[in-house]
Amino acid sequence: MALADRFRRARNKSPAAGRGGDVEDPFDEEFLRQLELLQVVARRIISGRQRAERKTKKVGSGLEFADHREYTPGDDIRNVDWGVLARLNQTLIRLYEEDEDLPLRVVVDVSDSMMTGDAHKLRFAQKIGAALAYVGLSNLDRVGVTVMSGKIHETLPAVRGKGRIFRVFDFMRTSARGGPTDIAAGCKRVAAQSNQPGVTVVLSDFYDLAGAFEGLNLLRFQKHEPVCIQVLDPAEADPRASALRGDVTLVDCEGAGRRDVTVSPALLERYAEAHERFRSTLESKCRARGIPYFRADIDQPFDELVLKVFRRGGVLR
Amino acid sequence: MRFAGWSLAELAVLFGAAGAAITGLYLLRMRRRQVVVPFAELWEQLDRETDTRKLWRRLRRLFSWLVQMLLLLLLCLALGDPRPQWWFSEPRTVAVIVDVSASMDAPAGDDGMLRLDAARARVEAELAALGHRDRVVVIAAGPEPRVVVPLSDADARGGQAADGLQGPGQALATLTPRPGRADMDAALTLARNAVAGYPAPELLVVTDGALAPDDARAVAACATGPLACRVAQVGARAATQTDDDAGGPIDDSADNLAITAFAARRYPGDRQKVEVLAEIRNLGATPRDFVFDVLADGVSVGKKQLHLEAGARTRELLPELDAARARLEAKLLPVEGGAALPGTAMDDTAWAVVPPLDPIDVTLVSDGSDLFLEAALLALDDHVRLGAVGTDLDAAAREALEDADLVIFDVADAPLPDPLPGTHLVVFDPHRLEDSPFEQILPKKQDLRRPRLTEQDRKHPILDGVVFKDVNMSRGTSFQTEATDLALVKHLGEPMVVLRERPERAVLAIGFDPRQSDLPLRVAFPLLVANVVDYFEARQPGFVATIPAGTSRELTYAQLGLGRATGVTSLQVTAPDGTQRVLRARDGRFRLLADDTGIVHLEVLDGDAAGAGVDLAVNLADAQVSDLRPRLPELPEDADASAPPPPAPPTDGPLWTMLLGICLIILAAEWTTYHRRRTV
Repeated sequence: MALADRFRRARNKSPAAGRGGDVEDPFDEEFLRQLELLQVVARRIISGRQRAERKTKKVGSGLEFADHREYTPGDDIRNVDWGVLARLNQTLIRLYEEDEDLPLRVVVDVSDSMMTGDAHKLRFAQKIGAALAYVGLSNLDRVGVTVMSGKIHETLPAVRGKGRIFRVFDFMRTSARGGPTDIAAGCKRVAAQSNQPGVTVVLSDFYDLAGAFEGLNLLRFQKHEPVCIQVLDPAEADPRASALRGDVTLVDCEGAGRRDVTVSPALLERYAEAHERFRSTLESKCRARGIPYFRADIDQPFDELVLKVFRRGGVLR
Repeated sequence: MRFAGWSLAELAVLFGAAGAAITGLYLLRMRRRQVVVPFAELWEQLDRETDTRKLWRRLRRLFSWLVQMLLLLLLCLALGDPRPQWWFSEPRTVAVIVDVSASMDAPAGDDGMLRLDAARARVEAELAALGHRDRVVVIAAGPEPRVVVPLSDADARGGQAADGLQGPGQALATLTPRPGRADMDAALTLARNAVAGYPAPELLVVTDGALAPDDARAVAACATGPLACRVAQVGARAATQTDDDAGGPIDDSADNLAITAFAARRYPGDRQKVEVLAEIRNLGATPRDFVFDVLADGVSVGKKQLHLEAGARTRELLPELDAARARLEAKLLPVEGGAALPGTAMDDTAWAVVPPLDPIDVTLVSDGSDLFLEAALLALDDHVRLGAVGTDLDAAAREALEDADLVIFDVADAPLPDPLPGTHLVVFDPHRLEDSPFEQILPKKQDLRRPRLTEQDRKHPILDGVVFKDVNMSRGTSFQTEATDLALVKHLGEPMVVLRERPERAVLAIGFDPRQSDLPLRVAFPLLVANVVDYFEARQPGFVATIPAGTSRELTYAQLGLGRATGVTSLQVTAPDGTQRVLRARDGRFRLLADDTGIVHLEVLDGDAAGAGVDLAVNLADAQVSDLRPRLPELPEDADASAPPPPAPPTDGPLWTMLLGICLIILAAEWTTYHRRRTV
C-alpha cells in the first residue's frame, strides 16, 4: 500500500487538529510524496549500510576491528588474535566496535517564537523532524520525538518501523505548543529521559541568548550526539526589507517584555548585523565542539535541507 | 497691523484654550503601534546601545508640540484677518517722470550700463514698492513728454498684462534715449495734471541731472513746490571735477565729444565742390585726440585729426571737398589705436544737406544812365538774376517789382513810385525830389552840400572792403534815423547811408547819387554793389538745411526752397528710419518735429508744387544737450529719492490666505513625515 493511501486512512482516524489545530497541517499528501522521494534518495546516500550498522563507541561484538587488549581470563577465546600469538607469542584479544542501533531523537522547539507570523518556522521544523524520523524509521532505527518549550515537554517514546511514522505525525500534530523558549531546560529533560544516548536533533530558532548553546552542550555531556538545526525566518533575521519604521512598541511574543523603540533604517541594519552575529556565534560554538550545525531558512525546500543533512553526515552513519 | 476679523482678545482666548488642549494631549502618553517580535532580547540589546537617542526622542516630541502650537497660532492669526496699517490709509498717486534726453544714452559706469538703464531700474524699484491700491503714471520726459504707463492701479496693471497688453515692465523696456533735451517743464505739467484730483499725489523725477538750465530750474522748482516731488538722480555722479587741483583723480565719467554744428555749401563757381563747416566741442575734463571725418555716400571725402583741450571748442572748415551729392555725414572717430570716444554716441555723428544755389532776383529801376551800376550788377550774374525796368512803371512792371527779391532804385531826377514795392529796397538819393514817397519809410533830415564821408562802419558786411575816404560828391541828404536804424556812413555825424531792418523787409538808403560823385570810378563801388546784393541775398528766407532734433519747429515753403507754392495742404515726411507720416500745411507753413537724427525727406503731396521734394538734416547740435555733467541745483534733503524704496510685501491679497497656505504646507510636511514613520 502506498504511503499516501495509508496516510489518508490514518488521517481520517486521527483527531483533526488537536491542540495545534489552528495551524495548517504540515503533513499533507504533498509532504508524503516528498518523503517517499526523500527515502529513495536517502537510501542511495547511505547505501551499503545495513540495519544496526551504525557504530557506537562501545567496543563489543561488532565486525569491524577496533583495538587489541591483553587477554584476561573469562574472555571469549574466539576473539584471541591467533596471528599475533603465533608471531609475537602474546595473547591479545581483538576488540571490535560494537554494532548497535542508536536511537534517533528529534527535539522540536514549540515555543511562541517558533509561531510568530503564520507559524512558518514551527511547520518547517515539524517537516524536517518528520522527514528525519521517517528516514530513520525506514532504516529500522528507533526514533523518538520530543516537543519542548519553557513550559511544555512532551515525548513520543522511541518507536521502530516505518509504519510508526503516523504516530510521529499524530504526535507532532496534536502535541501542545507555546511558552517561552528554554533550550537548556528542554535539552536537560531530554538527556534525563534518555537511558540510551543517541543522535539528538534539536530543531529550534534558538532565540535564547543565554541557553541556546548550553542545552546542546548539555546533551553532549550526556553522551548524546546533538545535531543543531536552526530554523530561521529570513524576514525576522533581516527586517530591513520590511516596512517596519517609526515609533513602535515592540512586544515579545513570549511575554518577555515590551520596549518602546524608534525604528529607523540604521537600527534595522544594526539588528540584522546583531542577528547574524548571534547566529554565527552559535554556529562557531557548535563547530568548535563537533556539533553539526545547519541553518534552515524557511524559504528553502525542506527536502533539500534534509538531504544536505544526510550528505554532510552526522545524523545517520 | 490691525485685525479685521476676530479681535485680539477673542484670538487670545481661542489660542489659550486650544493650546491647553493640545498640550494636554501631548502630556498624555502617545500610543504607539504594537509590533510583536520573536526575539525582543536582541532588540533590547540594540536599544541599550542607542540610549543617546532618548534625548532626541524627547526633543522630537517637544518639536512636534511646537509645530502643533505654530499651526494653532497661524490658524488664529488667519481668523483675525490681519492687515497692515497702511492698507487702511489712502492710496498714493505717483507720477514718475523719466528723463529720456540724449544724455541718458551715456554710460552710467564701467559695467556698460547706460544711464537710462539705471533710470529704468530705479523706476521698476518704485513700481515694485507700490501697494496694490496705489496708482502710478509713468511719463517719458524727452523733447516732448509722452505717457509710457497710463494712470492705473495694480489691478489694472495686472489686467493689462493678463490681456496681452503692454504691462509696465514691457512699456519701460521700450524706453530709449531721444535726441534732444528733456522738456521737464512740459513733462512736470503733464504729470501734475495727471495726478490732479487723486488722493496723495506725488511726483518722482528720475534723471541723470544733465539738464538744460531751464529744465534744471523746473525740476528744482518742483522739488521745492507745494506738491510732493522727489528727485532720483541716477547714472551720473553728482559733481564733475574739471581739474585735479584738489589732488584727486580727474572724473571723466561725464566726458563727451560732440559735433555741435555742421553745415555745407556748394561753391557757386564749382558745383562739384562743397565747403564744410563744423563746430566740435570737448565737454569733458580731459583733453582728447580724435578724428573728424566727412563722408558722402559712405565714402570719406575729408578727414582731419584734431586735439581739443578740456572744455575747448573748435570750428573746422574743410574747403573744396569733392562731393557731388547733396547729403554729407560727419563723424567723430577715435584715433587709430586710441580709446573709444567718451559720452553718448548721438552727437558723434551729424548730417548736412548741401543747399541748392538759386540766384537772387534783383530788379534795377533806372533811367539807364548809370552804366557803372549796371556793369557792377552784371558782374554778379552767377548768382544774380538781374532784371531792369524804366522809371515809367506800368502795372506789369509794378508787379514785377513786387515779385523781385531786391529792387534797386537809381532813378536820378525821376520820381520814385508811390507806393514803393514791399520787397527789400536799395534806394540811391531817395530825397532828391520833394515829397518823395520815401519820406514814409525813412524821412529826410537835411540836404548836404559837398558832404564828405567822414565815418563808416567798417565791420558791417555791406562795407566789407569798401573805402569811402576822399570820395567827392556835389550834394547829398541825411536821414532821420531811429534807434534801431544802422547808420553805415556819416558826414560829420549826419547819417548818409542808413540800413533799416524790419521783419518784413530791409531798406538800404544811400543819400547821394553816384552820378554826382566819383564813387563809381573807384574800386569801392563794385565792391559796395556786390556786398549789398550778398547781404540781401543772405537775408532772404534762406534754405533751411538743418534743424535741431527734438524740437518742434515751424517752417515755410520758402525756407525749403519751394518758393511761393500754393494750394499745398499736406506734406509727407520720411524719417531717417524709413517711417512715413503726413503733415498738414496751412498758409504756406507747417510744423515739423524731428525726433530722430539723420536725413528727413519732405515731399509735397498736393498743390502746384505737388511731387516736389527736399531733404533736411536733423542733428542733435546742442551743446547743452551734449553736456553730460549733472547740473541740478542743490535740492532739499527730503526731495532726494536716489535710494530705491524697499519692495512692497510679496502679497497684495488678504494675509489670512497666505497664513492658511503656510498651515497647509506645514501640515503637508508633517503628513509626509508621518507616513514615513508608518509601521507594519
